[in-house]
Amino acid sequence: MEAPNMKKIGKLNQFLLLLTFSLISFIPGFAQDVQVEATLSETNIFTGEQVKLELNIHGTSMGSVQQPELPEFDGLRWLRGSTSRGTKYALINGKPSVTYTFGYALIAQSPGNYTIPPVEIEVDGETYRTEPISFEVLDPATLDSGEAERAPDIYVRIELSTNNPVVGQQIIADVVLYFKNGVEVSSYQPTPGWKAEGFWKEELEYPQRAQTSSTIVNGVRYQKARLIQYALFPTKSGELTLSPFEINLSVRSRRSSSDPFGFGLNQERMNIQSTPVKVDVQPLPNLENAEFIGAVGDFKITRKISNPNAFVGESIEIITQISGTGNVPLVNKPEYKLPESLEKYSPQETSAIDRTGRQISGTRTFTDIVIARNEGTYSIPETRVAFYDPQQEEYVIEVLPPLSFNAERDPDVTEITQNNLRFDVKPITGLAQWTSMKATPLHQRTLVWIMIFFPILLTAGAFGYKKYHDRMNTDTAFARSRTARERTNKILSEAEQTTDIKLGYHLIEKTLVQFITDKLNLPPAGLSHNDLILHVEKLGDTETITELKRLLTKCETIAYAPNTSQEALDKDLQKTRDLIKKIGKLS
Amino acid sequence: MNKKLILLFLSLFYCSTLFAQQGIFDEANTLFENGELNEAMALYRFIESEAQVSGALFLNMGITAVQLDSLGLAKYYFLKAQDFETTAQQANEALEFVNSQFSRQSAILPKLPWDRAVDWINDEITAFGLFLIGFLITIAGLTLLYLGWFDKLPLKKTSPYLITLIITGSALAGLAFYADYVNQRYDEAVLISNSQRVLQQPEPESTLVSIAYEGYDLTVDQWKSEEHDNWLYIRLGNGQFGWMRNEGVKIF
Repeated sequence: MEAPNMKKIGKLNQFLLLLTFSLISFIPGFAQDVQVEATLSETNIFTGEQVKLELNIHGTSMGSVQQPELPEFDGLRWLRGSTSRGTKYALINGKPSVTYTFGYALIAQSPGNYTIPPVEIEVDGETYRTEPISFEVLDPATLDSGEAERAPDIYVRIELSTNNPVVGQQIIADVVLYFKNGVEVSSYQPTPGWKAEGFWKEELEYPQRAQTSSTIVNGVRYQKARLIQYALFPTKSGELTLSPFEINLSVRSRRSSSDPFGFGLNQERMNIQSTPVKVDVQPLPNLENAEFIGAVGDFKITRKISNPNAFVGESIEIITQISGTGNVPLVNKPEYKLPESLEKYSPQETSAIDRTGRQISGTRTFTDIVIARNEGTYSIPETRVAFYDPQQEEYVIEVLPPLSFNAERDPDVTEITQNNLRFDVKPITGLAQWTSMKATPLHQRTLVWIMIFFPILLTAGAFGYKKYHDRMNTDTAFARSRTARERTNKILSEAEQTTDIKLGYHLIEKTLVQFITDKLNLPPAGLSHNDLILHVEKLGDTETITELKRLLTKCETIAYAPNTSQEALDKDLQKTRDLIKKIGKLS
Repeated sequence: MNKKLILLFLSLFYCSTLFAQQGIFDEANTLFENGELNEAMALYRFIESEAQVSGALFLNMGITAVQLDSLGLAKYYFLKAQDFETTAQQANEALEFVNSQFSRQSAILPKLPWDRAVDWINDEITAFGLFLIGFLITIAGLTLLYLGWFDKLPLKKTSPYLITLIITGSALAGLAFYADYVNQRYDEAVLISNSQRVLQQPEPESTLVSIAYEGYDLTVDQWKSEEHDNWLYIRLGNGQFGWMRNEGVKIF
């Protein structure tokens, strides 16, 4: 019962609109706002292919619009008799508008590049012109039919605005779906979690996404639709790779051989992904005499102080605003040289980012919060900050002028004193106990190393002495050898004190015999001088043997040498000492 | 004679330094009493930068920081005052107050017994003290060994004692080195800024692990932190690890 009513209302509306237009068109002086537009259904056309040229005349008030005559142009031939005409009425923002559409069927002629010249349209006696349209007519014979057959029915790819940006420069990444005529995409769903490693990623809010247009790829006509648009900002230089973009599709395609009746569409769900895309990101040039805040684009930087006349203890905000287009989310806070006496708090930051259009724009606001605890004038010096302009390919340096503020005591606030404390801890006055807090690591203390090596050395020494002691008690030969020098020294001391030369030489002989027998572990008695010399000869030093022979001979023959003096004895005593040293070393 | 003069000169120099320090401390206390808190704090900081410090100095700095409304800083100074016997009790009372004033409190994961034991060694007897104990025990064991070698004591009877003494002494000396290593590598710290982000990697865009707020106790791994300028590798009281900018962190 409701449907007929609805139909009636629809007709009534149409009638009212027509009436409104009729009335408006007869009001003299009513402002006309006429727009004309020409569109060609394809701009890459094969020879013999049919295309449609549409002329749209749009306005708020139009009395009479005549069928436009097409001008003469090459490349396309008008199929006369195929002209269509339509009228559309609408109320936009409370204002009525009308659009007349004239359609012309055209057929492509010989291959080449052509232009449809401006079409003249007469509206209420005034002439309007459309913009010219360029198009290309292609020869299908020149195309590789094998390649066309191999071309996929549908695919997705990431198309970048540039492949050589600098660090921080915005790149537009379009996710574009290509599908052949006859394939109908009823819905699509991007797989979440697409990674753009090395980039800061922002999805653009592009209102005309998913509108299709026609294009020819490798001789195959495809419909293309931009599904999603991202703004990417490289965060590092070098060769970066955008990972494949994955998308789930619901696709309908015409049945061919499997549908004998030729009606109905075949719907299927499919998952496709783009190929990875490489981006060669260039590093930013060096900058001197200014602080680079990480901004790449076109920015305006301002700085102001919230309250130039504040009270002591009141928070004061230094607000820095960075506005413009570019990598707004990646902009860093400029560092200021704030007076030491100010109490500083963690800065706050807010962002307002506009993602509509093809450029990320917005404002990033940084607020430094400081508190003056004393009266006085505080100054923040001039600051030079820079951003990189990729259009100009150079840094733009903005000089932020110096700021200052006064801090005064609030007369209405009583000063906080020690008595206002909410805890009873009192400061300590008077003599304090001073101490050093320096703590040297253990491994850097000499005393520690001495304490480590002392027991080791002591134990090694004690062990060696124990071994020596044990051997002296158990090994007679070793004991005789070790004590030989001591005993001979006693006899030689006795010889030095005597004035009797014969006794002196006797003691020298005794010393030598004693030392050699002890040192070489020979029987203490019963050995002749020759025996002793023979044993010493085995040690091998001829000079020592000669001296030993001389001394022993002199000791034997001293009774027959009445002219021997005390000096000769002293010399021989010294030679005996030297000889004992040499034999001691040889053994 | 010369040695005595040098010793006398050094003693006089040391005493004059202490007198000067005490004088500045008294001056700072007077400024504090007159309500000139920033000036008082500046003088206290000057003394702190000198070689000699005291519990009274840190306690007064903490109280000044409380009055300047910088509670994180106050906590830091009270924790330092806690290390001195003369001010430990007052510092504890002050810390109780300061901790109650923080709007955000961190969950505290109790330390493992082994870590508590190492902390006790460093705080109470110091690594050098433990090393000295280990040294003396080792020397006692070695003395028994020497007496046995030279037949002053029967070695067979004393060997269990001397082995126990030598092993125990050496183990204590080794433990002293470990405690010293822990002391050198890890430092306690307090966050004095309003808040700081704790991140997985020392990069501003890295994944957020947690947020630390003013007054949070931190343990700083100094060795790992040296790998990245202006960043600290820290452990929060709740056991989470991460990287933090070194701004607003006071390290002991």
